[in-house]
Amino acid sequence: MKDLSIVLKEVGRERKDIFMSILFGFLAGITAVGLFASSGYLISKAALVPPLYALTVMIALLKMFGLARAVSRYGERLYSHRATFSILSNLRVNFFEKLEPLAPGIYQKYRSGDLLARIVGDVESLQNFFLRVYYPPIVLVIVFLSTIAFTMFFSVYIALVLVVGLMLTALVVPAYFALSQRKIDSRVREQRGELSTEVTELLYGFRELKLYQRLDEKENLLKASSQKYIQEQEREGVQLIFNQSVNTAVSLMVSWVVLALGAYLVTEGQFDGLFLAMLVMISLTVFENATPMAALPGNLEESRTASNRLYSVVKEAPAGTLEPITSLPESQALSVRLKELTYQFEGEEQQAVSNVSFYLPEGSKTAIVGPSGSGKSTVLMLILKVLQASEGDLQLGGQSIKHVKDEDIWSKSNVVLQDNHFFYGTIRENLELAGTGFTDEEYKNALHQVELPHFDLDSEVLERGENLSGGEKQRLAIARAMLKGQRLWILDEPTSSIDALTEQVLYERLFEQAADDTLVLVSHRLTGLEKMDQIIVMEKGEVVEAGSFNELMAKQGYFYEMKQIEKSVFG
Amino acid sequence: MNVLNPYLKQYKGTQIFLVATAILTGLSIIAQAYLIVLAVDRVFLQGHPFESIVPILGWLALALLLRAALTFASGRAGVRMASKVKQDFRRRLLDKFSKNPVQASLQGQSGQKVSVMMDAVDEIDSYFSRYIPQVIQTSIIPLMILIIAFSQHLYTGLLMIITAPFIPLFFIIIGIKTQKKSEEQLDKMAAFSGRFLDTLQGLTTLKLFGRAAKQKDAIRESSYGFRDATMDVLKVAFISSLMLEYISMLSIGLIALELGLRLVVFESVTFFTAFFLLVLAPEFYLAIKELGSAFHTGRGSMGAAKKIIDELEKDDQPVAWGERQLDVSNPPVIHLKEAGFKYGDKGFELTGVSAEIKPYMKVAVVGRSGSGKSTLLHLLAGLVAPSNGSIEVEHNPLSNYSEEAWFNEVSYISQKPYVFSGTIAQNIAIGGGKQAAREDIIAAAQKAGISQMVSSLSQGYDTPVGEGGRGLSGGEKQRLAIARAFLKNPSIILFDEPTTGLDLKTEQILQASIKELSKKSTVITVAHRLHTIQDADLILFLDDGELKGAGTHEELMDKESDYRSMVSLQQGGNSA
Repeated sequence: MKDLSIVLKEVGRERKDIFMSILFGFLAGITAVGLFASSGYLISKAALVPPLYALTVMIALLKMFGLARAVSRYGERLYSHRATFSILSNLRVNFFEKLEPLAPGIYQKYRSGDLLARIVGDVESLQNFFLRVYYPPIVLVIVFLSTIAFTMFFSVYIALVLVVGLMLTALVVPAYFALSQRKIDSRVREQRGELSTEVTELLYGFRELKLYQRLDEKENLLKASSQKYIQEQEREGVQLIFNQSVNTAVSLMVSWVVLALGAYLVTEGQFDGLFLAMLVMISLTVFENATPMAALPGNLEESRTASNRLYSVVKEAPAGTLEPITSLPESQALSVRLKELTYQFEGEEQQAVSNVSFYLPEGSKTAIVGPSGSGKSTVLMLILKVLQASEGDLQLGGQSIKHVKDEDIWSKSNVVLQDNHFFYGTIRENLELAGTGFTDEEYKNALHQVELPHFDLDSEVLERGENLSGGEKQRLAIARAMLKGQRLWILDEPTSSIDALTEQVLYERLFEQAADDTLVLVSHRLTGLEKMDQIIVMEKGEVVEAGSFNELMAKQGYFYEMKQIEKSVFG
Repeated sequence: MNVLNPYLKQYKGTQIFLVATAILTGLSIIAQAYLIVLAVDRVFLQGHPFESIVPILGWLALALLLRAALTFASGRAGVRMASKVKQDFRRRLLDKFSKNPVQASLQGQSGQKVSVMMDAVDEIDSYFSRYIPQVIQTSIIPLMILIIAFSQHLYTGLLMIITAPFIPLFFIIIGIKTQKKSEEQLDKMAAFSGRFLDTLQGLTTLKLFGRAAKQKDAIRESSYGFRDATMDVLKVAFISSLMLEYISMLSIGLIALELGLRLVVFESVTFFTAFFLLVLAPEFYLAIKELGSAFHTGRGSMGAAKKIIDELEKDDQPVAWGERQLDVSNPPVIHLKEAGFKYGDKGFELTGVSAEIKPYMKVAVVGRSGSGKSTLLHLLAGLVAPSNGSIEVEHNPLSNYSEEAWFNEVSYISQKPYVFSGTIAQNIAIGGGKQAAREDIIAAAQKAGISQMVSSLSQGYDTPVGEGGRGLSGGEKQRLAIARAFLKNPSIILFDEPTTGLDLKTEQILQASIKELSKKSTVITVAHRLHTIQDADLILFLDDGELKGAGTHEELMDKESDYRSMVSLQQGGNSA
């Protein structure tokens, strides 16, 4: 249960809804028992020809039980689902609280696109924990205990039989199946992963497979893998049905024992036959509550895995800041110095950034260029302290960033990333990230600066900015950075989706605003770099060349060659 | 629920088995009720000794165990049927995708296809494993109980017949209402449920702007919004259950009342009959109600089924092949005769490309993006068949040759070569025959300039790459593709020249390798480099799906104004 301790805590917050779910669940269960008990008693009593009023009372009782049962089932469903969704909300907030201090470094570290989708999926699957694992056993036990207490009035022996039945159906059988469930679950997941790889390879690698005549081979692999996956699913499905059937069989046999024992006691004269039908009906009904217990092991296992996987992501402590903590000076251009900086991503053999040193004086403009995968963006992440170098030192304004809080660096820089996020909301709300307190006039002006004068501040932006083009998103991101107005500019290919003409205009305005600021620009294109103070050329995580445009061109080295190729490239 | 019915016909055997188990289940339910009542009647009213009911108890135990066993048998049959259907659907989809290369090679749609093959197929499951067995049970068991009811006591039977239709009736009415309601709420729910992912994805941006802390409340708020919207929909569904439950309770109550009155006031039924019917009545309504919940899961499968069937019913554009072998002492001469291709009915169309490609020629295909360059390369590769005109190889239509003979002679080096999950050696070996020797693989890797990188890895050629393995950079992937080509040694090379983003080393290797490969083969390049174009023996200039001109660089500069302007625009753009 250690894996689920956080989840349990979050579940516990919804005390009222939990209480109501259990209360109504109990009422629904006990009224059903009452309904069938009274109908059994009614018939028996009727057989003995009682006075009519007794019958009327019984029938009224019957109706009441029927209505109460339907209403309490409704209440149970309502409250349990409400609780489930509230818990989901708690889990999201709780997880976010844990993830937030680790971001964005953790995103860089995992470098896997599906991390977030997996997180969302895992949180979502935890909602079953309350609905299918947490409260049904509680309701079950209370209903059983009440029923057993009631039965005690009539026959201790039969009550004992029910106790044994409860132990079997709610504890022994599910516990036994829980053991076998673990293995099956992991096998299904494994096979699914395997099949998913095969399908992806076949579809994405189709052209290669076809041309190299490996398609038939791959098709057979895929079929075999699908067959295996389906077999595991089938095994899982059959196992679940088997669990349910065994549980049903056990509960039916308990009712059988109740009948046999009751009948024996009646013939021995130790028990009034009038109540025999009632007790048999009770036993048949009360075990209906035990049916969900068969599916419990599967759900428990699923929740356990999800919670485990989820919280393993956020296990590590956030990157600390060394004492004494210094803060960067306000509104002042900063110098940037990298001293033999090295960074290696987890699980990768090669260093992403290896022994990199350079110095950017305050107010200077620098471009970092190089082929994709050469470590340009990683350098930016290191400057922003999103990633922390394993070796070497990095200084901002002469202070080692080991003593500077990451939030401090971020609040004093204007950052445009390759992939800038836009949220569901309006253009204004998305610009407001740069800071509140701007007038509409200022927002409008910022939009003008990035050549988006036609944008309305109140137009809707969809999730992830889906309704904006790549170029529009980049321009809005630049507008956001310009509004922020800090003195350190970190730009990672900010104009890759913007046409050359607009790009030129944007850069002019940007450099105008940043005239006295320190600016670092990662660029794919080699055009327009003539006015940079320094160009740093990277390859395979190392700096291969550095200098001004003219110096590098005169040198006829790596940069010169790249420039030659770019010149000859056709669109 | 119609789209899946045709597929059901293939499983007659399972259906007969399900019908048989349903009948047996019905019998065991009736036997169970009968035997319980018989036992109670004997000891309670007739005062028989315990020994007299021992055989009854024996039979009862049997009936109870049979019922549980039947539940298992029927459930298992459903699960097995679902397994077969799923495998069958995957096989059909696979056939469809691999016989229809145009679709499959449009990579943009691959993600969606993966999801159809994985998720949609899985979602079909519940229709066959749960819905169908339940439908069969519901159409048989209540009927059997009804017959017994009529045989025992006419009025109980009548009450059942009158009340039973209310359950499906209410179910349908409320189902329609819920659907409307949930459609209204759907957008809201989708918006709220996406918010969490949206926030997680935007966390980097939020943190850099110092706005992350605020988001906690936003997440809570949107989660609550989602909860309330969902509860609105669920409430209607729960009320529907409430009504159904109430109807069946009321009906059971009516039956009990009627039986009680007859038993006491009129004394026209015996205790045995009354008790027997009272035990059976809940089973009657339960079977009808369970169809409702199965119906919900069945409906969920419908959407998935539609996705699959849409995919299966898409038009094919298959490629036909013959038996002819290809003489490979020299690269073959290729004639394009008014060749063209159209994607589907409304898709992009490439028309009327005519050209003669002689052995060892260096051909460059140029044009703006979207002009049809890739389509032409696919046509030449034999990945798609011309929808008009023809391609002739050694003066015979390409479709006369055997697939193997042709593909043995073709290599395709794309801009984004696919890396399969496996080792580096396996990824290179895919270029060669079934069993490529390690020396040959290493030799090919050396020629492609990748051997140095490989030997720097601790596992060398056995380093796992692709899905779940080491990531390769764009340049490394290109060099891997080149190594595949060296290993294969084909007579025709199709090359999609990279546009940007390669390191110098890869650039140099690409140049040298293509030069080396062109000694032994015809090279057809979708060209993005000026010198590639200048070097070409033949340039095919495409514009908007048409061949605008063909010839050498000088010839085209001379006579094609569009070509001229494209070249000068390119150079002008760079000097700016």
